[in-house]
Amino acid sequence: MYKGFRSESFSAWAFMAPGLLFLAVFTFWPIIYGIPLSLTDYSVITETNVVGLDNFTRAFQDHNFLISLWNSLVYVLIVPVIQIISILMAILVNSRIPGVKMFRAAYYIPVVTSMVAVALIWSWLLGNNGVVNYLLLKAGIISEQVSWLSTNSTALYVLMFITMWKGLGYYMMLYLAGLQGIPADLYEAARVDGAGPLRLIVHVTLPLLRPHILFCTLISVMGAIRVFDEVYILTKGGPGTSTLTSSVYIFQKGLEQFNFGYASALGLIVSVMVGALSVLVFRLNRKGGVNSY
Amino acid sequence: MGTNRKGFTVSLLLTMSMLLAACGGNGNTKGTPDAGSTGEPGTGAEATAAAEPVKLEFWTIALQPTFNDYFNNLITQYESSHPGVTVEWKDYPYDAISQRLLTSTASGKSPDVVNLNTEFASQLGSKGALLNLNEYLTDEQAKSYFEGIYNSTVLGGQAYALPWYTGTEVLFMNKKLVEKAGLDPASPPQTREELVEWARQVHEKTGAAGYAQQLVSKLFPIDGIPILNEDKTAAAFNTPEAEAMIAQMRDLMKEGVVLKEDADFSKQIQYFSGEQVAFQLSGPTFINFIKTSAPDVYKNTIAVPLPTGKANLRLSNSMNLVVPQKSKNPQQAVEFAAFLTNAENQTAFSKVANTLPSSKASIQDPFFTDSDGSLEAEAKVASSQSLDKATDYMVGVPSAADINSALARGLQEILMNGVDIKETLNKVEKEVNNIISQGS
Repeated sequence: MYKGFRSESFSAWAFMAPGLLFLAVFTFWPIIYGIPLSLTDYSVITETNVVGLDNFTRAFQDHNFLISLWNSLVYVLIVPVIQIISILMAILVNSRIPGVKMFRAAYYIPVVTSMVAVALIWSWLLGNNGVVNYLLLKAGIISEQVSWLSTNSTALYVLMFITMWKGLGYYMMLYLAGLQGIPADLYEAARVDGAGPLRLIVHVTLPLLRPHILFCTLISVMGAIRVFDEVYILTKGGPGTSTLTSSVYIFQKGLEQFNFGYASALGLIVSVMVGALSVLVFRLNRKGGVNSY
Repeated sequence: MGTNRKGFTVSLLLTMSMLLAACGGNGNTKGTPDAGSTGEPGTGAEATAAAEPVKLEFWTIALQPTFNDYFNNLITQYESSHPGVTVEWKDYPYDAISQRLLTSTASGKSPDVVNLNTEFASQLGSKGALLNLNEYLTDEQAKSYFEGIYNSTVLGGQAYALPWYTGTEVLFMNKKLVEKAGLDPASPPQTREELVEWARQVHEKTGAAGYAQQLVSKLFPIDGIPILNEDKTAAAFNTPEAEAMIAQMRDLMKEGVVLKEDADFSKQIQYFSGEQVAFQLSGPTFINFIKTSAPDVYKNTIAVPLPTGKANLRLSNSMNLVVPQKSKNPQQAVEFAAFLTNAENQTAFSKVANTLPSSKASIQDPFFTDSDGSLEAEAKVASSQSLDKATDYMVGVPSAADINSALARGLQEILMNGVDIKETLNKVEKEVNNIISQGS
């Protein structure tokens, strides 16, 4: 028994080794190395001095950083929206209606499209003379052109929408996998007891999808706080600081202005924030579920 | 549980040891001069024969493969007149060069001569990462460049870059829209005020806007508002003149005379190509884009000297050659950079690349004085003859990139987000002063 366990765990580690090695070199090591870096004024090009906790005190007095944290937290608001819509989409494409495979593929296309391409397409669509303005003007919903990405009241929400549009298919697929793991006889039993479609979703589907909901919510929260590509390509954090998210600000401080020490401190603060939010998501999803986790 | 505690202790020890390693020295400790930083002043005129073979690594931005022949020929010429010196030429995209420079510097393999724009050169210079070229150049060499352009990377009396190819902006006009507005393209606007009047008339008569622009810090120096004080120790842009300039810009955007948009170069091309604006203020390279994106508009476009603002100066946008502090061959690197940027070679490069030179002697060449009437030639003559007035807008500004982004953000807050002008200027002033005091 014990021997069997050992050989089994050895196999497991052997299978995981290549991935773990990559993670260790490109993820864990940089994260750990960021801790000492955050206590210096490291900039690659000049001599390094230890500055102690100065970077952290500076961070909490840095108006732009605080705004970027706030914007990142606002970005998290898309998480429940994405989850609800992708669950509904998964339920739809899990049904046996004709042409359902085409819908599955169509919803998944944005996921495999490069974010740069997605961002550029949306920048054209949302341009002053873009299709979006044209349609809204025709429909009488707006009376004059709106600069969607250059107006502080709309820019962040438009970016959130683009993130959501691109991510929906990904979460839909995960939920679809979850749905297909739910035994059909549970639905049968519920129907015998007189449950309608809505009650089936509320009392059978959602409770049994709980592990998937936890997983998707967790990676969605992390993704929302770390959002970078679409923001950097479309607005670079502007206009002003309207769409400045923490990742973009850290990138600007580190890779554009060479303040790697300071950027490491900001990165650590954001990491702690992501960790705290992850714990919160776990706590909220503590009870229930079919699979243990 | 015990294992967890052990694991935690190991992690802690690991972190502590790395902390010590990171702080203890990365081959770059205070007080140790870098090799080459105390090079002998060179005569610059005569070639230094290398005692032992020297390999110079020369980096440019986006010049391969278009200009391979020009550079290969120049490098061959240089190597034959400098026995023992070989030059390895590498070319990187605009967006990648800063990362490359950082990573190569970090790994102790610094290039010797690097092509950088003024903002980035100033940023690196103010961080002490570049060689002070004043220690290597003769007075005659330093004076062979246009003063305004040469001084753009002089910080605290130290010259951090040799100016190379440059460009000044001209005014492109959509003749059709201008004539439709009842204006005469033959007598174009001379000042910013006149340009605004023209733009207003174009907007009233044709519905098109006057022009689109990017909200960047150069809007201040155009109107004679200095970004920093004389000795570059504090922000100097928070003035009533700046408030008035920004208020006027805000009103023009409200009127639709200037597009209410922070339009980068690619957006400006789109607007001009789509005839949504009648004017474009940019360097001659704009012609190539308009030629391919909107041939009809290209045929209808003329170029005239750029109307000047209150400061009566024209801004240049230069590329430079710098020698990193960590170059192992500073003497030879400076000589090679001086060779590339001398008048003869700059004139030759301008002819193949359709750029402007930063060396005074170059613009005497008929190439810069004669026009065959084409849009390209008109733009070239108009811009080259204003080079003596040209200055870079970030003259000697330390941490230029950081200050630029703070100012650009402030302008966006006011003009796009409608935040109060004075309140924003106060905030940005504080931010810029912080950047200067932190030296970052």
